[in-house]
Amino acid sequence: MRLQTNGSLVSPHPNLYNEKAVRKQDPTLNIDEIVAKYRPIISFKVKKSIGAHTPEWEDVANEVLLNVIEKLEKSEFRGESSIGTFIYTITSRRIIDYIRRKSKVLKHAPEPNPFSTPQQDVEEEERAEHMASLLEQLKPKYKEVLYLYYYKDLSRDEVSQHLNISPRRVSERVNYAQKLLRKMVIK
Amino acid sequence: MKKCNFEKHIDNYLLNRLSEEKKEMFENHYFNCSNCFKKLEDRNALISVIKSRGNEIFMDQKRESQEAQTRSSIFERLFSFSFFTPKQWTMATISACALLIVVFGIAPVLNLKSPIPQFVMDSQSVRGDSLALIFPVNNTQTIPSEFRWDNLGEGVEYKIYIYKDNLLWSAPTTQTSISLPENIKDLLKTGENYSWEVKAFSQEGSLIAASSKVPFQIDSHQ
Repeated sequence: MRLQTNGSLVSPHPNLYNEKAVRKQDPTLNIDEIVAKYRPIISFKVKKSIGAHTPEWEDVANEVLLNVIEKLEKSEFRGESSIGTFIYTITSRRIIDYIRRKSKVLKHAPEPNPFSTPQQDVEEEERAEHMASLLEQLKPKYKEVLYLYYYKDLSRDEVSQHLNISPRRVSERVNYAQKLLRKMVIK
Repeated sequence: MKKCNFEKHIDNYLLNRLSEEKKEMFENHYFNCSNCFKKLEDRNALISVIKSRGNEIFMDQKRESQEAQTRSSIFERLFSFSFFTPKQWTMATISACALLIVVFGIAPVLNLKSPIPQFVMDSQSVRGDSLALIFPVNNTQTIPSEFRWDNLGEGVEYKIYIYKDNLLWSAPTTQTSISLPENIKDLLKTGENYSWEVKAFSQEGSLIAASSKVPFQIDSHQ
């Protein structure tokens, strides 16, 4: 098994994994498609767990993917659970291993930041810049909800009390703001 | 796109508000549900930008919130000096307004007049003992030639004062009555209003009693 320059993992024996069990779960997937589909999900989970600012997150995500492929090749996936749950279990264990290993080195390591910092790469920074400019264009009533709910970290009930609207309305405004942003991005 | 039941956990998951059990359940779910994962990514992008650039994005909201906080702290400080709650303050303000309306709005319309001060007809001491005036204490048909008052005992010196608008005449005596000299009698006119009072002094000269200022009028149909 090797890691390609574009970051994808390629198995030298693509036909050895328990294709039957995987296809039973998702008939369209082969091992490359599994990697393509689950790489972002695994990366997301890893970043969320150990912090997007942690430089090792990519290594951990790659280790998870290698582990997944290895297990698929060894036919350890027998289709008793979904392929998603199978990969989630591997990801969780691998993250726990990483944290244990890390805590032995740094007993008092700071809490990881759950959100990625937009300065991570140029593309991400540009995307964040664009999103920030779109957010500024939103109507005050949507900005107000986003400000209180996400920036000030108030609960939905606290926001509803603050703005004198129902908690349901708070969720609706947040969702509608997101919808508007999506439309603005497409334009 | 069909709404998934797990979507409601997206915000709480990203804001770390899920219990460990629910968090694992949701994580397992988004490994299996591409719709939820897509929404999770979108929402994460939004929250990341808000968290990292909120200072610039929400400048207006922050200013408004600071102003509101200042306003509320001024009110809190104001009310903290008092036993009144804001509700009681409101009631007090309404009551004061109602009183002002009655005094300045309704009273002039009903032509209500303030009561004319009435002199007390018997004695009213300023300090020490009271001193009652005996004559004249009301209207009189003739110009009084003698003024009489109560006896406060031996060794007391009295001083009588007769006023029109200002002091008309004043004289000391050790008696409890005094006759008006002719030149003062000539000053008193019928139909005019006058008043008089007597003050009592000890032998050392200190004030021991004073009567009230009693008005009298000499009737014109003399």
